[in-house]
Amino acid sequence: MCGLCGLLGEDVHWSDPLGDELPRRRERLRRIAAINKVVAPFRLKVEDFQGVSYLLLGATGKQELASGLDQLWQRAEQLIGRPLDPLDERLLDHLEQHP
Amino acid sequence: MSIALNVITGFLGSGKTTLLKRLLQGETLGDTALLINEFGDVGIDHLLVEEVAPDTILLPSGCVCCSIRGELRDALTDLLQRRARGEVPAFRRILLETTGLADPAPILATINNDPHLRGRVHIGLVVTVVDASHAALQERLHPEWMAQVAAADRLLISKTDLADEDALRTLQLRLHSINPAPVLTTDSIQSGDQLLLGDGLHSSDPAQEVARWQLMGVRSTPARHGEAQVCCLTFERPLDWVAFGVWLSMLLRCHGERILRVKGLLNVNNSHAPVVIHGVQHCLHAPVHLPQWPGDDHRSRLVFIVRGLDTALLRRSFEVFSERLALAPREALA
Repeated sequence: MCGLCGLLGEDVHWSDPLGDELPRRRERLRRIAAINKVVAPFRLKVEDFQGVSYLLLGATGKQELASGLDQLWQRAEQLIGRPLDPLDERLLDHLEQHP
Repeated sequence: MSIALNVITGFLGSGKTTLLKRLLQGETLGDTALLINEFGDVGIDHLLVEEVAPDTILLPSGCVCCSIRGELRDALTDLLQRRARGEVPAFRRILLETTGLADPAPILATINNDPHLRGRVHIGLVVTVVDASHAALQERLHPEWMAQVAAADRLLISKTDLADEDALRTLQLRLHSINPAPVLTTDSIQSGDQLLLGDGLHSSDPAQEVARWQLMGVRSTPARHGEAQVCCLTFERPLDWVAFGVWLSMLLRCHGERILRVKGLLNVNNSHAPVVIHGVQHCLHAPVHLPQWPGDDHRSRLVFIVRGLDTALLRRSFEVFSERLALAPREALA
């Protein structure tokens, strides 16, 4: 547990913060902000849930909870009904146009 | 303390059991637990290996690629419990021989994802045995062959006496173009060689293992229909680890089956030393910090072995995500 934030933390994942310069909660918010940039063109939004899970919000009001990044992508796919592909040219165009 | 699990893989009839049999005759394997698979009811592998070592453990019959996931976990847990109770000698490492049709990725995923095994066992080296006389045919006909070669940390060419010199040289070049791991011949392995049974990135000197990857010497190869292709990505500026994690986790989720291997030496923001990542298909290992950069080139370098993936798009995606997703720490709180 992080003594500063009182977070139990997520499951261990390779993409976890490398150092401990920033408090864990802030690292988590940074990650969620980055994820939101990617999922925005699919009309999805991601919020933190108690510092352990991600809450995915769809445009039609559907919600999903996900634990860890791998599950997050899986749940996002279920919500939008197609793969969230980082090689999708429309997504790349969107990211370039909306820095 | 975590125990290294080394995987010996290779296509059917490539000579894995013959190699193990020879290795077992040396004394260096005395403190090794060996996990082998009986293939079907015939159990040829079982007959060949059973007599050689007293602490050999056989998995129940069944193909590794369809049933090992559950059974491997059970077998490993059981083995570790027996070790803790003192019923088996306190071995230093585990050797797992896969069946010839196995794709190594699910095995690595089992070790990495199982909460009971994760802290107790780690992946050491993946050794792939390649049959010199049938390599070209197996590459053409069986996609598992390529998955096994791409996953390898060491490549061992067997049956060199059955292939002529030209064919052998062609095979060596071919293997090197797919996976720049050290290539040896099984004849040159006489005992439990450290190069073969080492601890890879988990050894006391991970930089040595990274040097063997020869990341700086790898060149991208052109695409040919249906074939594996090497793609090198470099990035001048230090990478944002959060953006990189989002990109790669998303990529592996969507295209894991097509990414046979990924290795990288990364220059990450706020870290003076390089970070090493490596993975096989969907499964990425925990990153390792090197004490210092191996040379003057401090650019981030990623090497992918892919099959059926547009590498130009991969390059563009990497650049767009690295540049557009990198956030200032304050931006996240805005």
